[in-house]
Amino acid sequence: MALLEVIGLTKKFVGVVANDRISFEIEKGEIVGLIGPNGAGKTTLFNCIVGYHKPDQGTVKFNGKPITGFKPFQTNRAGIGRTFQIMSISGSLSVSENVMVGSFCRVSDSRTARQEAAEILNLMELEQEAQARMNELPIAAQKRVGLAMALATKPKILMLDEVAAGLNPRETEEMVALLQKIHAAKDLTLFVTEHVMEVVMPISQRIIVLDGGQKIAEGKPRDIANDERVIRAYLGEKYVEGRKH
Amino acid sequence: MPMHALKDALSFGDLPASERIGFAIFIAFCLVFPWISKGSFAQAVMIQFLIFCLYGLGWNLIGGYGGQVALGQAKNVGMSAYTVALFMVWWDVPFWFSTPIGVIIATVESFILGYFLLRLKGHYFAIATICVSLVWQQLFVNWDLIGGARGVELPLKETPNFVYMQFTSPIYYHYFAFVLVMGAILFMNWFRKSRLGYQLRAISANEEVAESLGINIHWVKVKAYCITGVFAGMGGAFYAVYYNYIDPFSVMHLELSIMIALMTMIGGAGSMWGPIIGAMILIPMDRYLGAWLGGSGIVGVDFMIYAFMVMVIAAYEPRGIWGIIEKARRRR
Amino acid sequence: METLLSTTISGLLMGMLFALVALGLAIIFGVMDIVNFAHGEFLMVGMYAAFLTATGLSMEPLLTLPVSAVICFILGMGSYYLLVRYLLKGPMLAQLLGTFGLMIFIRYLAMAIFGPDYKTLEQGLLIRPSINWGPVMISYPKLGAAVISVTAFGAVYWLINRTRLGMALKATALDVEAAGYMGINTEKMRGLAWGLGGATVGIAGALLTNFYYVFPTVGLLFVMIAFATVALGGFGSIKGAFIAGLIIGLIWDFGGTYVGPEYKFALIYLTYFLVIILRPQGLFGW
Repeated sequence: MALLEVIGLTKKFVGVVANDRISFEIEKGEIVGLIGPNGAGKTTLFNCIVGYHKPDQGTVKFNGKPITGFKPFQTNRAGIGRTFQIMSISGSLSVSENVMVGSFCRVSDSRTARQEAAEILNLMELEQEAQARMNELPIAAQKRVGLAMALATKPKILMLDEVAAGLNPRETEEMVALLQKIHAAKDLTLFVTEHVMEVVMPISQRIIVLDGGQKIAEGKPRDIANDERVIRAYLGEKYVEGRKH
Repeated sequence: MPMHALKDALSFGDLPASERIGFAIFIAFCLVFPWISKGSFAQAVMIQFLIFCLYGLGWNLIGGYGGQVALGQAKNVGMSAYTVALFMVWWDVPFWFSTPIGVIIATVESFILGYFLLRLKGHYFAIATICVSLVWQQLFVNWDLIGGARGVELPLKETPNFVYMQFTSPIYYHYFAFVLVMGAILFMNWFRKSRLGYQLRAISANEEVAESLGINIHWVKVKAYCITGVFAGMGGAFYAVYYNYIDPFSVMHLELSIMIALMTMIGGAGSMWGPIIGAMILIPMDRYLGAWLGGSGIVGVDFMIYAFMVMVIAAYEPRGIWGIIEKARRRR
Repeated sequence: METLLSTTISGLLMGMLFALVALGLAIIFGVMDIVNFAHGEFLMVGMYAAFLTATGLSMEPLLTLPVSAVICFILGMGSYYLLVRYLLKGPMLAQLLGTFGLMIFIRYLAMAIFGPDYKTLEQGLLIRPSINWGPVMISYPKLGAAVISVTAFGAVYWLINRTRLGMALKATALDVEAAGYMGINTEKMRGLAWGLGGATVGIAGALLTNFYYVFPTVGLLFVMIAFATVALGGFGSIKGAFIAGLIIGLIWDFGGTYVGPEYKFALIYLTYFLVIILRPQGLFGW
């Protein structure tokens, strides 16, 4: 049985079909990438799964149980963690306290939560930043904190929204290494939405491609990279021409 | 678990030494105040300060930590105060029996209202709470059964009486109010380290992110709003027996709600000591300004001063006086 | 039957004035997503401006409209440049508090200057007995106020939808950054929105002075009605504000006639309460 099943998911906004009968499965332990040009419907699909949107049609199953129409906190409690592209957190909480908030999803005792947060910060190499405020940190560190917060809720699958957006090449590389590390350490399933090919290609075992709200391809990174339909949709005609030379 | 909670409530060890010293001075001051103060006016101001500490500490939960600007504490104060007063007038029920009922009524009202209103965000929530307050206020002013605009006077017992909380000396009221405030402070000390406290602060920082961390934001807000109602209810019950007279303008009025909110914001919303600092500045200023200007017929200068402070604070340091203190401390 | 007809007409006339009171709130919210708590106080300032000019110079009250409009325009613009501009940089809590503080400040300033007394105008063009039209009674001042109110409303609607200035305002409302790139001085537009919001409510205040008491806390009563109106119509929707104004006007007069005048405010707040629970986006909101 697949960990996450999306069956015939359709989401319409006024005049636009953002997701058109999309179906796919993600097995436990996999790393799956979701790519597609701007406006392909990636974010909508993401939001339909985690519960920010209610799909018009179709079913989302997690661990075999339907979770369609769940609220975001319910999908999280079911075991779906997510990160945000940009996370603006104001207020008085420090980095380690923010991670504690994630822990409180599963534990109610603040001592346990504090301990768990410390462990996760360790894993994420964020000990130095533990007492800082979110808005004092550089983008790369903020992204790692976001990951740590989501991890603290002990998800079975982690959905990453544009995890490399705004990072420079070196930081991107570090992020890829970190993702591989937590994938191994936490026995996680990863579902990665991404623009940056340097992230998706090396880590994904399988890639799903969206264009115009429809799923146009699914397969191994190497096959996807060579699929002309995908290249045309995603990278444009010029790239296809370039590759022929 | 309960043991841990108690330990959290009693332990101030995680605070900087300066804060602990400040707190100790506060306690010592409150304890000796009745013996060093000269005159009943100062004593009355002190008790008023303690009542407002209680209101402010409660409001700080939803308004400060939760970031939801609720402007209707007065109705909870009023409901509880009216319960205590009317139970005594109608059925001669003592304070200690009517207070739990009053607090429960105030809390249930908070729950029902919070359940519906806390789906609204930001400005809309604030406006809606004002609007509900005004409905209650009009109802209480016009409702003859409960005294209408004339208010309710509590019948006096012949001798000082503990079960009715009637004493001849204000000292007793002072210490009782002090115990309530200490209870509230210990509760807040537990709260800020508790799951609820962290979740509430996460909500006020960013609701979308909080939701993604498994927090049922609506429910957490409703819980916090109810606790705020409990605090207000306690304050209201005490108010009724302390003054022996209540009317819709003193315990049900929107102005009271506004005062509580402004006071907490000036002191520092969302911080442990903010409400106390706010009350410490505003209440004496209010009473002494009132006494000083009372004769000249100028009303509301106090409110103008608060309003001006609030505008300046909102524009430059939304976290109030406590925010300024923390900023200075971090720079050092 | 006569009462019913009289009440309906009176309610609709009052509603047109309510719509004008709410218009400024809708403009300001539409342009920058901020609720002006001090809106009712602007109205109060407009009322005092009209009242004092009319009594002080023994002038026809209707001629004080421009005075109120100008004073409230300056008040609105001044509020933006001196306060709101800084609030917009802060978190939402600060925005809320800031205009809230402004409200309290203006209210108690008025209290200190004018005292808490209720004042009314004694004479003026509109201040005369009701028109008896068969068995139906129409309040003369309300009729006049409603006509001017609708005219003012129409003028603002035209300004926003048919002029270059209006286009710039709308562009600022849609996307500040993009509007800035297109060479619109967005800071000026926002200040202007506050000025315009102030001016419209100033006019409403001057009209209201013809048949309502003038006192320092009058603003709270009417600002709550304005909030109800804007919430009912959908925040930021100008058309919505007008239709919602009429509905609220009807509730006001029917409530006053059939339930009791002391409860008419409570009834309006109750309506608002129900609307915002059942349909937070309002009738014409999105």
